[in-house]
Amino acid sequence: MAKRYDVVVIGGGHNGLVNAAYLAKAGLDVLVLERRHLLGGATLTEEIVPGFRFSVFSYVVSLLRPEIIRELELPKHGLEILPLDGTITPTDGDYLWRVNDHGKTIRELRRWSLNDAEAYEDYGPLMAEMGRFIKPILSIPPPDPGKISPREWLPLGPLAKAFKDLPTRLQTTFVQLMTMSAADFLDQWFETEPLKATMSASGIIGTFQGPRSPGTAYVLLHHYMGEIDGAFRAWGVPKGGTGAIAYAIANAASEFGVEIRTEAPVARIRTAGGRADGVVLASGEEIDAGVVMSSLDSRWTFIELLEDGVLDDDFKADVMRYKYRGSSGKVNLALDGLPELACKPGTGEWLRGAISFSPSIDYIERAYDDAKYGRPSARPYIDMIIPTLVDPTMAPPGKHVMSCFVQYAPYHLADGAVWDDAAREAFGQNVIDTIEERFPRIRDHIVGHQFVTPKDIEDITGLTEGNIFAGELSLEQLFFNRPVPGWARYRTPVDGLWMCGSATHPGGGIMGAPGRIAALEYLKHKRKGRRAA
Amino acid sequence: MAKGRIVVIGGGHNGLVAAATLAKAGQRVVLVERAERVGGILRGSEPAPGFRAPGLIHTVGRLRRSVVEDLGLAAHGVGTVTSAARIHAPMPDGSSVTFWDDAARTADELRARNVHDADAYPGFDRKMRAIASFLAHVQVAIPPDPKVPSIADGMMGLKLGRAFRRLGERTGREAIRALPMAVADLVQEVFEEEAVRGPLATRGVLYTAMGAWATGTAQVFLHDSAGSDGGAAGSAVFPLGGTDALADALAAAAAARGVEIRTGTEVVAIRSTGHRATGVTLADGTEIDASAVVSAADPKRTARLCDPVTLGPTTVWRTENIRQPGAMARVNLALGGLPAFHGGDPERLTGRIVIGPSIDDVERAMDAVKYGHIAEEPIVEATIPSLTDPTLAPEGKHVLSAVVQAAPRHLRDAEWSTEGDRLGEITVKTLERYAPGLGELVEAREVITPEDMEDAYGLTGGDVQHAEPGLDQFFAWRPMFGESQHRFLLDGLYLAGSGAHPGGGITGGPGQNAARKIIKDLKR
Repeated sequence: MAKRYDVVVIGGGHNGLVNAAYLAKAGLDVLVLERRHLLGGATLTEEIVPGFRFSVFSYVVSLLRPEIIRELELPKHGLEILPLDGTITPTDGDYLWRVNDHGKTIRELRRWSLNDAEAYEDYGPLMAEMGRFIKPILSIPPPDPGKISPREWLPLGPLAKAFKDLPTRLQTTFVQLMTMSAADFLDQWFETEPLKATMSASGIIGTFQGPRSPGTAYVLLHHYMGEIDGAFRAWGVPKGGTGAIAYAIANAASEFGVEIRTEAPVARIRTAGGRADGVVLASGEEIDAGVVMSSLDSRWTFIELLEDGVLDDDFKADVMRYKYRGSSGKVNLALDGLPELACKPGTGEWLRGAISFSPSIDYIERAYDDAKYGRPSARPYIDMIIPTLVDPTMAPPGKHVMSCFVQYAPYHLADGAVWDDAAREAFGQNVIDTIEERFPRIRDHIVGHQFVTPKDIEDITGLTEGNIFAGELSLEQLFFNRPVPGWARYRTPVDGLWMCGSATHPGGGIMGAPGRIAALEYLKHKRKGRRAA
Repeated sequence: MAKGRIVVIGGGHNGLVAAATLAKAGQRVVLVERAERVGGILRGSEPAPGFRAPGLIHTVGRLRRSVVEDLGLAAHGVGTVTSAARIHAPMPDGSSVTFWDDAARTADELRARNVHDADAYPGFDRKMRAIASFLAHVQVAIPPDPKVPSIADGMMGLKLGRAFRRLGERTGREAIRALPMAVADLVQEVFEEEAVRGPLATRGVLYTAMGAWATGTAQVFLHDSAGSDGGAAGSAVFPLGGTDALADALAAAAAARGVEIRTGTEVVAIRSTGHRATGVTLADGTEIDASAVVSAADPKRTARLCDPVTLGPTTVWRTENIRQPGAMARVNLALGGLPAFHGGDPERLTGRIVIGPSIDDVERAMDAVKYGHIAEEPIVEATIPSLTDPTLAPEGKHVLSAVVQAAPRHLRDAEWSTEGDRLGEITVKTLERYAPGLGELVEAREVITPEDMEDAYGLTGGDVQHAEPGLDQFFAWRPMFGESQHRFLLDGLYLAGSGAHPGGGITGGPGQNAARKIIKDLKR
């Protein structure tokens, strides 16, 4: 086939699709190539157990950028986000239940600590303000610190001004959030263990860090920046599972004229004279393109898909030392009925939100210790939701799906152990044992299950080492160091090859921002080019 | 502000440096020290008659050259010995790795163990030196005022900018990348051998409460190399006559410049009218008026000397949240002879002997901090000063000084009053594993617990660094945001101790920087 596309996007995950949609919206001729038979990448919903639809990997949305929902008119294309109300943290014989109803939450906190109830009143607004301050960073391309030319730093100007104008207390908080551990940060405010542990948990999700690891407070903020209908820190599940997001974006993209091909794995990015000019599929089929956009992580893009000799060794070394270290797994359960919590019997609305296995900071920190030394956590942190309570379409009538995000499950195991079937089974059963401690009769309800290890995440989605953020969100791998120091602007050393996935700023989560910013950056670059010509 | 009397609280090395520098600039300075003698953490002890052990920090390689010159310390009789062996790291399997001042020599010896690491070492050493050379500029700089940046701040910014540019684009990026890293990553991505990674990683956690995987420990490592000829292995410099000799020299230099030194009297309050510090009150009730008060005590201790009503609840809340988590204990051993560390001929033992054979060992030891107990298999940095200076121990005998981690200040279900001895035993047992027979050589054992450090040295939280050197208490926000220009909490109150930029260690940096800042302010 002789057809030459303006842009070929590798990877039909949410970022690849967002990127394609924006490029097509600007009038470009775009083709998206997806390896699997389903779109979505890590944003995937699949019917594993007959009648039960699992959101295989990612499970909630909060970070999805509102401008994308607006600009791509996703609601029109079938995106409906059902809000989750609250989080319950079971402890031994008790529980902490926080809901969106502020007054209710405060009353609940008073049960635990008057001091914390009071501190909570200041904490929320403060974090919301911080989120608002940091938000712009999610929408600007990072500078290159290697160069100290004003041009590099200009985009940060307004931000610096905004920072200068903040009251000292907020400036302090900002610096602390960027540098402190979630635990140290929260210790300044609160004393209630389940509260601190559950909050700090959002700081460690998807990372290879513990709540006492410096730098985790940042991720805590990362999770505070999500908004649904403008409401900060509102979590939700998409109707039909997270995969529905991918398909809503795909529909939008198609309407803008994007061509999408599934089961079309890319074997190689074709280059001529150091310039990317197309891709070669596993089938051998060649597709010509003006520009190749990769939504894959940097190791896939630069090491797997490019031939040797295209990149210089320094750059390759930088790519190879980039840290992935998947740390989480997933357990999806098909249930024939609702299980009950030991600490709060009944099947009330407390099961409609998140159920967090995080009784204390030590509990999560010990789980991390196991992972540090190459073992899955003996007692993992689990972030659980029962999506069927807000979206019954996910299971047969009266039946339920339990979606459990599990940490830690280190990709690299100690003593040469590997993630084989036995290891997967042991991992899954241990998670169910852990759940059983809180839901005593859970095993009676299980009619089917899916255990997902970091190795499975890598095999199925292609995410290196199963890192759900396509690269560890550690301080030295953020912003201008993402995905490779000096190449944070979505461009690469190879002309005509661009990056647009979670591997790039501002990073992972069902956010879509990387795909969008990459598209806008490319279009800007193109206009400049035309002017120059 | 008129020229008047300046009171310096605390006669540790930074207090003495600040006092001497101010006096040299013509100020009238009174220095108040609660102990009977000045010297702070430089003051050593006598584990047994005839044995002189160093203070809490046993090497002084980072002492700022300009401090030595300004104060004419040489004239006051302080000499130092620099060891060619920087780190000797014995391994559990009986082998050992030595890191020398000369990277090539280190690489040659590494070759037998691992060719890749041998080839990588010199380049790693160069990179560390390059980044450290930039940090040296950061250390002498006075952090900018984020609220109202002054012209001076702008100049400083330009200076740092130029220094940064000199690194070149790639090294510049490397520096920015390295600073927030975990020291474990810093060494793991370059070296294959745990025997190389472990001892180097130990440098990133020593004197802190952090583990090797903690973000920002690479910065601790690099700061330790900055302002010395450290490089990858760090420095190993000992004052002749022990750290006490350096304390005496600093005291003599201060006295020679007219500083009035009052020992054995403790400051119990910093007096203030309105929002200005006006002097101090001593334990015996004496009041000393001053146009400026300079505190070389740690930040929390300093804040607690101020009137809480004047500071206001928010400020008190913030100062009480400054992190000062001491996690280090000192053990001194009087030895009947030279211990036989694996692969340790005397020359190799003249530097720092590091027990931290792998990243996991370092991490496990520091895990103890999180759960509030003593590490059963601690990491140890030992020195044998009597090897370089025989006067410190009787003929043929030796004194061994050990920094032992982790030993958190606050134990969960135990008391230091009873745990001290156990820590001593753990330490000897640990050393014995790497130096068979060491146990029999022990004639006397002295344990200085973090609790002792708080009580005897006045270090809040038992933190010798006065404030955790994490990224959250760094440069423009050390010890806390908005209080980083040595001006601290009140007008006319200055922080000159390790709690201020550039932080802990025997550098004299905070004292000198603070004195410079005060002199600037006095001119206005």
